[in-house]
Amino acid sequence: MQYKILPLEKIEKIRTNYIQITIKDEDLASQCNPGNFFQIKADITSQSWRLFKPISVYDIEEESISFLIKVIGGGTRALAALKTGDKLKIYGPLGNAFPLRQDSKILMVSGGTGYPPLAFLKKRLDSSNNILFLHGGASKDDVFPCDCSYTIDGSLGNKGIVTKDIADLLKKESFDCIYSCGPVTMLKTLAQIVAPIPHYVSMEAYMACGVGVCYGCVIPTNEGYQRVCYDGPIFEAEKIRWKEL
Amino acid sequence: MSELSTSLGKINLQSPILNASGTFGTEYFNFFQQGILGAYVTKTITLKPKIGNPPPRLYETEAGLLNAIGLQNPGLKSFLNNDLFDLREYLKIPLIVSFSGATQEEFIRMLEGLELHCGIYGYEINISCPNVENEGIAFGTNPDIVFNLVEKLARLTDRELIVKLSPNVTDIALIAQAAEAGGATSISLINTLYGMAINWETGKSRLSIPVCGYSGIGIKPVALALTYQTARAVKIPVIAMGGIHSWQDALEFFYAGASAIAIGTANFSNPLTIPEVYQGLLNFLTQRNLNLKDIIGKVN
Repeated sequence: MQYKILPLEKIEKIRTNYIQITIKDEDLASQCNPGNFFQIKADITSQSWRLFKPISVYDIEEESISFLIKVIGGGTRALAALKTGDKLKIYGPLGNAFPLRQDSKILMVSGGTGYPPLAFLKKRLDSSNNILFLHGGASKDDVFPCDCSYTIDGSLGNKGIVTKDIADLLKKESFDCIYSCGPVTMLKTLAQIVAPIPHYVSMEAYMACGVGVCYGCVIPTNEGYQRVCYDGPIFEAEKIRWKEL
Repeated sequence: MSELSTSLGKINLQSPILNASGTFGTEYFNFFQQGILGAYVTKTITLKPKIGNPPPRLYETEAGLLNAIGLQNPGLKSFLNNDLFDLREYLKIPLIVSFSGATQEEFIRMLEGLELHCGIYGYEINISCPNVENEGIAFGTNPDIVFNLVEKLARLTDRELIVKLSPNVTDIALIAQAAEAGGATSISLINTLYGMAINWETGKSRLSIPVCGYSGIGIKPVALALTYQTARAVKIPVIAMGGIHSWQDALEFFYAGASAIAIGTANFSNPLTIPEVYQGLLNFLTQRNLNLKDIIGKVN
């Protein structure tokens, strides 16, 4: 884990509400595994007293690290206003990583901003695996490359939520492992449908420190309240007390 | 070069900057050398393990942070068997253990347990956490209760005994004087103010505990005023904290009478706050050919 102030190598607006930003740093890039995240914010005065935002790694290409970010609040708006060469403050990589399977039939399910960590995971899983990647969002603006997409408004792919066909799918095909990331309601539903298949979920949470010291980002688990930033963000779905979320 | 060293009641610190309990860990020494910190203050521990409050526990406001952590910690036994060993081995700076209790007896049992272990330079008695019922703050708002508790604890230790005060009281000077009379060797202040946030769309509290702790940039003027009042009311050293984000902020607290300061929420918005405050203070005092002790309490 290192703290750095780095210039933006590239920033792209993606459709109406997302940005993709890329930084270049050999040290940081070499330390990243799928599921890891960084604490990031724009290096501008108006952000100096604001918290960092936890953002999962979307892609690593040699020494470049990319993040795919939905612009939601003040912190992400400040990031979206940056231009190539502007600086951002960043520390990480943080958190644990997805366990990498081999020779497995894998189902990946993401919703909305849950897409980036799974896209990075898919890239790092080797070719011995057989992967089906489902992704869903509110509308076509929230859809990214995958094997099968869903939109709630029906503007692209299948109409409905991403979890709607999974129960039927599991009757026809068997999977060795599930990876997921997305809104809590989606993960909760998915966890019920796919149990008892091994299921690794990447959780999102409001964070302050990002390094495990403040205990602000906890979720309820069978081992008590655990920190998303330090004990996670990857958890075994069966260990999470979903009812309390 | 100016001297930044300072003194608490019983120990001398090479740096006047501490971390506020619960906002810091050894992870931050990935970002800067530990010698820049005067002493390391642990997250508050309690006698029994504490599960803490349900999420959500954090909400960032326009000017500062709300938290409802609820003192989640593994308890004294686990601290003594695990964390203390690691910290003692790792730290080259004094270790101060922060602890709290639900009854006077619990405070006493904790101190007795900690006294059996070496490598601890002092204690911060947390009688001011707003996020737990019948604990912490319940002790910190009544001068008689503070006096009785501190007097009993002071008899049991020769180590630095810091009493951490709550801002959520009518007259902080009275509480500080009660702690001093009981035998506290330093006072630290302030713990978080009461705060609250509601989602205006849904009418729901933003946090699981509606009235929780408020820290960060917005509380600085309040913390400064309470530091000033406290430092004038007692003879023992004051460790001040509350919204300090820069060396200029820190200077204000020294002028108001603080012998040392602590950085809390600012660690989250800038993990380099502690070394930047240190360097800024050093430059400022060196340029004016002053030592830190020359300006403590010299507000005019």
